[in-house]
Amino acid sequence: MSDENELNRRDFLIKAGLIGAGVYLAGCAKQSAMPLPTPFSDVIPVTPQTTGALDVKPAETIEPATGTAYLSVARGEDAAEITRRAIAAIGGMERFVKNGANVIIKPNICTDYYTYEFAATTNPVVVGTLVSLVMAAGAARVRVMDNPFGGTAQSAYKRSGIEDAVKDAGGEMEVMNQNKFRKAEIPDGLDIREWSFYKDILDADVVINVPIAKNHGTTRLTLGAKNLMGTILNRGQIHANIHQRIADLVSRVKPALTVVDAVRILMNNGPTGGNLDDVKLLNTVIACADIVAADSYGATLFGFKGSDIGYIKAAADMGLGTLDLSSIKIEEISV
Amino acid sequence: MKAKATRRIRQVTQIASFGLFMALFVQAVYLGQSPLASDLFYRFDPLIAATAMFAGRAIKAGLLYSLVTIAASILFGRVWCGWVCPFGSVLEWLTPKYARNEITDKWRVVKFLLFFILIFAAVLGNQSGAFLDPISLLTRTMTTVLWPGLRFLVYGLEGFLYRFDFLWPALDAVNTNVLLPLFQGIESVFIASLPVFIFFAIVIALNRIAERFWCRYLCPLGGFLGLVSRFAVVRREVTKDCISCDRCSKVCPTGTIDAAKGYASDPAECTVCYDCMAECPVNAIAFDRHFPLWKSAQSQEYDPHRRQVILAAAGTLGGVALAGIEPIRRRDPVRLIRPPGATLTNFTTVCMRCGECVRVCPTQGLQPSLIEGGWQNLFTPRLVPRIGYCSYNCDACIRTCPTGAIPHISKEAKQKTPIGLASINTDRCLPWAYDTLCSVCEEMCPLPEKAITLEEVKISAKDGQPMTIFRPRVLRDLCIGCGVCEYHCPVGGEAAIQVQTLPSTNTFISGV
Repeated sequence: MSDENELNRRDFLIKAGLIGAGVYLAGCAKQSAMPLPTPFSDVIPVTPQTTGALDVKPAETIEPATGTAYLSVARGEDAAEITRRAIAAIGGMERFVKNGANVIIKPNICTDYYTYEFAATTNPVVVGTLVSLVMAAGAARVRVMDNPFGGTAQSAYKRSGIEDAVKDAGGEMEVMNQNKFRKAEIPDGLDIREWSFYKDILDADVVINVPIAKNHGTTRLTLGAKNLMGTILNRGQIHANIHQRIADLVSRVKPALTVVDAVRILMNNGPTGGNLDDVKLLNTVIACADIVAADSYGATLFGFKGSDIGYIKAAADMGLGTLDLSSIKIEEISV
Repeated sequence: MKAKATRRIRQVTQIASFGLFMALFVQAVYLGQSPLASDLFYRFDPLIAATAMFAGRAIKAGLLYSLVTIAASILFGRVWCGWVCPFGSVLEWLTPKYARNEITDKWRVVKFLLFFILIFAAVLGNQSGAFLDPISLLTRTMTTVLWPGLRFLVYGLEGFLYRFDFLWPALDAVNTNVLLPLFQGIESVFIASLPVFIFFAIVIALNRIAERFWCRYLCPLGGFLGLVSRFAVVRREVTKDCISCDRCSKVCPTGTIDAAKGYASDPAECTVCYDCMAECPVNAIAFDRHFPLWKSAQSQEYDPHRRQVILAAAGTLGGVALAGIEPIRRRDPVRLIRPPGATLTNFTTVCMRCGECVRVCPTQGLQPSLIEGGWQNLFTPRLVPRIGYCSYNCDACIRTCPTGAIPHISKEAKQKTPIGLASINTDRCLPWAYDTLCSVCEEMCPLPEKAITLEEVKISAKDGQPMTIFRPRVLRDLCIGCGVCEYHCPVGGEAAIQVQTLPSTNTFISGV
């Protein structure tokens, strides 16, 4: 055999070595989301850990501008109009979104099972209107995302009608990428001190939380705070101490604005729905910078008080917002 | 010159055909957003059509496209094999330059006999060997090995690169525009990957013994088309100009050009590739209309003899008898959950093991089974809810099944047809066994009227304080067995809620 052949073998070994190293490094990559849940014994991370934590500045506290309401409730048949009026009443979108801001809107797109008329997913008109308002306020980028648990994100985005509404309004839908979840500290957390969050949501300049108000088996209702479960991994494990853990998530994500979609609310068989008899048409949108107050008002739509819902009360106890609706300025608008 | 051009056209056709196969394969998981039928190649596959119709005892209109392939073979010979078949093309491209081609011609009979065996078995209602169809083989390998393997490597690399924050804008763009359309974000795992890979690797490795070994000696579809091609109208002919230079027999990918017979070839073996014609220095080879029409090709020593065919029939009977004494005949395994609607058909008789339903399943809960349903049901699909659930709003497998083994029922009917029944293991369930709050299964249940109900129970907690917990129960009359509860159950390892086969399908209970 000639030298040429030996060189080829060497070349081959070098290339194989490089490829092998590449594969090895890829193998070292952070594991993506577990395909199966971990054992229950691993559920409660009691000791706070600092490794891999993100350095993220806490969300700015927004003082209500003078002359504007602390919380607004708009009622009327035009979902777009009541959304605009509700936002205007608490100071307009410019209060939350500065020029060039990176904004993420987090609706509730839990599954691809039913269309929005079944009140399991956030009303697309409300989401689309918010995207327009955010764009008009000068945002550099508006992304809308959720992490559905039934069906694929792509099919759920489409079926909910939210994808079309967002694209028409000039926003982007993002399919949440498993590689973009990072462990982050929850400095104020009482039960959980660390969890895997979607890094873009923690890093965004403004997070707008757009839950739909609906029934939920264990927690009675799902509202703004519960909606933040779409920003994390290992949701199943939240259930072990669901109220406190949701409050802990709120303390970390701190959305700048919560808009509760109560155009249609789901009274029973939530959170997935499927029966129009369970749907009640309220034609209502609630907007508030304070997620606890927004949820507290949302609870009244079902005949509850905020303090009846465990996670709302837990969040209030942590000082994350106001539970007492009589102490705040509420503007009610009819369109 | 003309021959070289034709050969070039053939090569381009092969690439286009493989490209179409891959395009259909990739878009198959788009859940009907594309107008293209992902099972297009199956519809043109006469082996699938013949066995499905014999075993199902019905004419299946969707499979009659395969008559086009039969017609093409009667006109031109095995053009399917040489020009269209994506698996044949893959084998051609993966042929090593130093293939030995020294195997005796006698083995060519195996493919004919395999074809007879599959037909005999289908007539007897058994489809256990249908997984040998070449399209099925390539689909299964692509679905469970090559594509998920590629995805694993790509996403592994992506995950590594995502560690560097400054790369995120670029990675986001690649992910959204390239990776997501290709892989749809599905994290695929398959129980059958290794055996499927080994089978594929062996078929590829056999190329070292002879070029296109599979096509020459084993492929039952090749056998079928070979038998038809014995009557081909257009055949390869060698004129008196031949100078016996031996070039054609050296390039022939199926090794059918026989120097001893004046460089003649067998139309049952020839794939009409035009390699020989392109190589011929004196233009002594032509593909011409053969007169008189319908005259069978000269018989070959490897043609199936009567005794061999009888032996194949006897062997088929033996195989069917073996299948008949497997426990699956008496009882359904409790975890053998079939695709939606399969309880309405004689599923394992009509299922071609083609793997198209496995490919389109967006949760990848449908898996080709190994021997969970007995050896006879190798590679039939089953739902493994712990890996992926049957998504409530999806009917992709129903719409893609080329044989109707998964019946073409409406989505509304699918949402009401039980495929199994969930059952709670109270020794593992958190609220039952650990007095812990958990309601994930109830929350996930997609039905308009939830098939899991939460019973409020007052207990005393460890510290003696009274406490309210909710214990889930399955409502048997509502549950359709989709398995989303089992998939999401937060208990590690085996879920505390599991879908099992429907009690009513169990012959033991129904007293048969």
